[in-house]
Amino acid sequence: MDLITSWIGNIPEFAVPFALAALGLIITEKSGVLALGAEGLMLVGAVIGVGAALTVDNTAVALAIAMIAASVVSLLFALMVLVMRINQVISGLVLVFFCQGLTTLTGTLMGWTNQPVSGLGAIALWPLSELPYVGRFFIQNVVVYLVPVIFVVAVWALNRTTPGLRLRAVGENPQAADAAGISVLGYRLAAIMIGAALIGLAGAFIAVLSNKLWISNMTAGRGWIAVALVIFARWSPWKALAGALLFGCIEALIPQLAASGIKLPQYFVFMAPYAITLGVMIWVAASKRDSSSQPGALGTPFIREERT
Amino acid sequence: MKKLLLSAGFALASFFGLTNVANAEGLTLDGPPKVAMIYISPTNDGGWTQAFDEARLRLEEELGIKIQYVESVPESASAIRPAVERFIKRGTNIVIGTAFGYSDTFKSLSEDYPDVAFLNGSGTTNGPNLLSFYGRTYESQYLCGMAAGAASETGKLGFVAANPFGPVNWTINAYAMGAREMNPDATVSVVYTGAWNDPTKERSATKALIDQGADVIGQHVDTPTPQLVAQENGVLGTGHHRDFREFAPEATICSSVWVWDRFLKTELEKIIAGNWVPEPHGALLSMQEGGTDIACCGKNIDKQEEAKIMAARDELLKGELEVYAGPVVDLDGNVRAAEGEVLPDGALWQMDWFVDGVITQQ
Repeated sequence: MDLITSWIGNIPEFAVPFALAALGLIITEKSGVLALGAEGLMLVGAVIGVGAALTVDNTAVALAIAMIAASVVSLLFALMVLVMRINQVISGLVLVFFCQGLTTLTGTLMGWTNQPVSGLGAIALWPLSELPYVGRFFIQNVVVYLVPVIFVVAVWALNRTTPGLRLRAVGENPQAADAAGISVLGYRLAAIMIGAALIGLAGAFIAVLSNKLWISNMTAGRGWIAVALVIFARWSPWKALAGALLFGCIEALIPQLAASGIKLPQYFVFMAPYAITLGVMIWVAASKRDSSSQPGALGTPFIREERT
Repeated sequence: MKKLLLSAGFALASFFGLTNVANAEGLTLDGPPKVAMIYISPTNDGGWTQAFDEARLRLEEELGIKIQYVESVPESASAIRPAVERFIKRGTNIVIGTAFGYSDTFKSLSEDYPDVAFLNGSGTTNGPNLLSFYGRTYESQYLCGMAAGAASETGKLGFVAANPFGPVNWTINAYAMGAREMNPDATVSVVYTGAWNDPTKERSATKALIDQGADVIGQHVDTPTPQLVAQENGVLGTGHHRDFREFAPEATICSSVWVWDRFLKTELEKIIAGNWVPEPHGALLSMQEGGTDIACCGKNIDKQEEAKIMAARDELLKGELEVYAGPVVDLDGNVRAAEGEVLPDGALWQMDWFVDGVITQQ
């Protein structure tokens, strides 16, 4: 089959987890909480998603359970950064290591490793699916089609609803928000849990829908790329979606080039995604057009009645 | 107490019908033999470690001993050392590791505990009481290549590989040579994922190969993903590590499998008998010596072809067939092994060239 058709058809597989995890991170960070734990929460979503799919044999229910599970685990992070006010960078890193161990242990003890699950069937969006070259982009499972919907809802909620505006106020200036009678910790807790649910869905997408099995540490650093994507996108959901598509394009292209026998230096090809990440970061840092888009209170714990 | 333990050890050794005359050069265990295995991943990882665990169970049965194990020990000295030393403090005197990344720590442990026998699968270090071992996976993968060549209708085979270095490249070349044994026009397109355990990359690599017309997918990565994708797309595949018919009964036609117990049994018997002298450069095991074998054959392979594959397997098991017997010529026309020669082990480990029929990036 045509290289381009095959390439474009495989982009969502890579792009969707990046996009969902980046959106989850943006929602959490808009409330002023620096979240580095995406890799860990994705693993939680992945293992619980597969476990649930094996147990209840209903993919939609399994995805919902995976999202709830990631939210529940994120309560631990919330306890550390909101209640105990531990450094948010350290808490995020600890969350990743904790989840790596927890998910490996869970998968092993429950016997969920390497057990294939059924996933969801692909739906063709006729007539888009008949288009030359891009047709296979529109033969995907239903979650892929839900991604733009989730983004529209999230952007609308963040920019057009009272809770969304309050959440951003909490992230920009918690003292002022507090004075206005907004519960800073309440909004931050909600932002952490909603963000975690989306990150959990990203992990469940990788395990339940894309690979249809659980393997220890299977997210393979994609949570970290999502963290980088958020910085690259300057906390803008649409730019994050574009970044996720860009990364999806690159990752999906690599095996296509090799499979069609196009001669390129192997190690250069392995390096390409990371070199491009680096290049994009440098470009963003150098262009500095909207550095104000970073939430003003990002990474700062909120202590009531403390002057800043 | 020590005497009691020693006599118990001898009693145990003679129970296995072994000579217990300690060889002057061989390692003499301090106390009765007590074996422990150190696994790099969980026992149910579906591949590498699970194959070791299955070997452990067979060894327990065949040798009548209990073998302890610990799972998921990462490849760092700070994790390996406490795990191994805890076993040694409790009387373990034979330690079997399972990872390349254990090499250096095992070397220093073997120097600290000269009375303990150390073995390490896929390791690189050796010593008077340390032996690293690995299988000549090109033999079993040559047979899988034969199966793939026989089963393919298009003659286009795909191969999903981890990293481009000797022990992966030698399976790819052997796979192509095996395939051409059955179909002289067969080609093998290779995609390296750059990772041993990344199912997402393996999936997209397999899909890309199938989209390019490959109808049998070989693999040298750790997860069964390529087989699952082959089955989803109605094509065939060959597995690595274990019999992957467990995961993809429709698709998997042949698997290269580890049979470590065949090798470890004789080594353990030697250690217990006190006449174990490790090879100074490690043990690279042919199928004859234990290490690898195949689980064959599935769909699309007729009786005649199966007989041919099994005949080659018999020759390998008897040590009568050399996969890398000359003439071996690479894609650029360089003669790597002349007529009548066999490619030496050093050249195998360094292999960065490919034979006719392999399509790959540089």
